[in-house]
Parts: sequence; structure tokens; C-alpha cells
Amino acid sequence: MTRTETPMQKHELQQGIKDSIPIILGYLPLGFAFGVLANEAGMSILQATTMSILCFTGAGQYVAIGIIQAGGAIFTIIMANVLLNLRYLLFSTSLVPYLKGHVPTTLGSLLSYGLTDETYAVAMNRYQEHAPTASYMAGLNLSAHLGWIASTLLGAVLGGYIGNTDHLGLDFALPAMYTCLLIFMLKDKSDVIVALASAFFCLLIGYLMPDAMENMFNIIIATVIAASLGVLISERD
Amino acid sequence: MSGTSIWLMLIGVSLVSLLPRILPVALFSRFDFPKPLKRWLAFVAPAVLGALTTLSVLAPEGDINISLNNRYIWAFLPTLLVAIKTRSLFYSLLMGIIIMALLYNFI
Repeated sequence: MTRTETPMQKHELQQGIKDSIPIILGYLPLGFAFGVLANEAGMSILQATTMSILCFTGAGQYVAIGIIQAGGAIFTIIMANVLLNLRYLLFSTSLVPYLKGHVPTTLGSLLSYGLTDETYAVAMNRYQEHAPTASYMAGLNLSAHLGWIASTLLGAVLGGYIGNTDHLGLDFALPAMYTCLLIFMLKDKSDVIVALASAFFCLLIGYLMPDAMENMFNIIIATVIAASLGVLISERD
Repeated sequence: MSGTSIWLMLIGVSLVSLLPRILPVALFSRFDFPKPLKRWLAFVAPAVLGALTTLSVLAPEGDINISLNNRYIWAFLPTLLVAIKTRSLFYSLLMGIIIMALLYNFI
């Protein structure tokens, strides 16, 4: 393959960008709100935007703001983020068998910086039918990341001027996206059982241990239990 | 928190968000996972989506809220129907956002 862009690569890039649109819609209110809150917590526009560029971890960034406002230490913020981001170890590992042989390791690793709950869900859905490509990953992850950065910047700059955006209904963009991607993911009965089990356990764990809700450990534990259950009940290879 | 502390915090948080995402792809790509592990990993996505969907609807503000006044549950039901019927992300999203906007403005 030459270094110039082939029509195939262009198509994959465009597909990735197209698939990022629902994610960006969902990020708009979240990134915007982060920008506003970061500003209120004493971060400059530059710092708030840089955080969205470097960290790209919605929940982690919100937690950081909360801890700053509560007068907490840097160490507390970093430890909270270690726990919050552990689930990405699981996501990233589960992507490896798909990427292998299709996306060069170095490029794949770098593009995995754009891995979030949302880009993971969309990409896994795509990889069920289509082989991954670096162009697709770039289109999806970089656009989603840009959307996050832009909405943060908007929030940090305009925060004071624009009031509540709840009435636009955008709060439901990400839940709606998860719902639809979940439906796409259910290929047979064992997937349905796994998804239901995971739903049940993440609620149960969250109910019994509210701390686990906050650091999203309930997602990790529920996923580990449900995926193991899947292996036990499934006949497929 | 002072400006310098915020910058330090930014660097720390970016490192702990970056590493768990890129390390597995960077390190494990050279190995061939054993078959049982591959089977297990194939169930990670449906499990994660089951958990994320549930939490985003039943704990939208961070705390579990299973009650009639949780708007997300009301928006979820028609969205689920549209997702099953149309299998279209676009229409599911459209339905979800419109219902949510209606709920906010009129109820």
C-alpha cells in the first residue's frame, strides 16, 4: 500500500466520522456542562480545554471538578481517575482480537487514546460486520474527541451567557445511543442473557455499594460476571 | 487549587486515562489469545452495553432512581421500541431526544 490516501481509506474515514455524529450530539451537553463547571471551579478556559484534550474522560473530568470544589488533593483526583479508567483496560483488551491483522499495532495503540464508553460501543458494533481499519478508528475517535473538546471550549467561554439546556432533550442522546447499540449487539440468546445479567449485577452492586457506582466499578464487576456466564451458557465458538 | 496544582493534576489524570486505553492494544497485539479467553472477550461488549444502558436510564444522575418520575425511563421505552423496529441509530436517537424534550417542556 502506498502512503497516499486510497478511495477505500477515504470511505472508511468518512464512515467513522459519520458514525461519530450521534456521539457528538450526546457529548455536546456533557462537554458544555463540563466547561461551565470547570470555569466555576476556578479553571481557566485554557485549562478546561486542555483537560478535555489530554484526558478525554467525561466521568473522570467531572469527578476532578467535584474534588477540586470540595477542596480535595491532587492525589485524590488521580486515584479516583485510576479507578474510573480501569474499565478501559477491559475495553481495550477486548478490541485486540478484532484489530489484530487489520490495524498496525503502533497506530492502533495511539488511536485507542480516543477509546471511551461511546466510541467503544459504536466501534464494536461496526466490527461485528466490517473489519476494523485505522482510517475508521481515526474518523470515529478523533471526531468524537474533537466534539468533546469543542463543546468544552464553548461551555467554558459561553457558560455565563447560556442558561439551562435541559429542555433540548439532548440529555437522552447517549442513553438512546446505548439502547440502540445494545439491540444491535444481541445476536443470539446468550447475548441477551449476558446483557440482562450485566444489567442486573451492575444495579445490584451499585445498590449494595454506592461507592462502586461512583467509580464505575460496578460496570467492571458486572461485565466480568456476565461475560463469564456467557462462556458457560453459550454453544458458539 | 492554584494554577500550578491544576496543571499537575491535568498531567496526572491524563496519564492514568491514557495508559489503560493504549497499553492493552500496544502490549497484547503480538500475542494470540487462547480460545476460551477470546470467547470470554466476545461477551464483554454485550455485557458493557447492558450495564451502560441500564445505568444511563435507571441512574441518570448517578444515583439509582427506579420510579415513575424518572423521565429517562419514559424516554427509554419508545426508544427501545424504535430501535427494535427500525434497527436505525438515527431514528432511535431522534425518538429519544424528541420524547425527552417533550417530557422536559410539558410535564
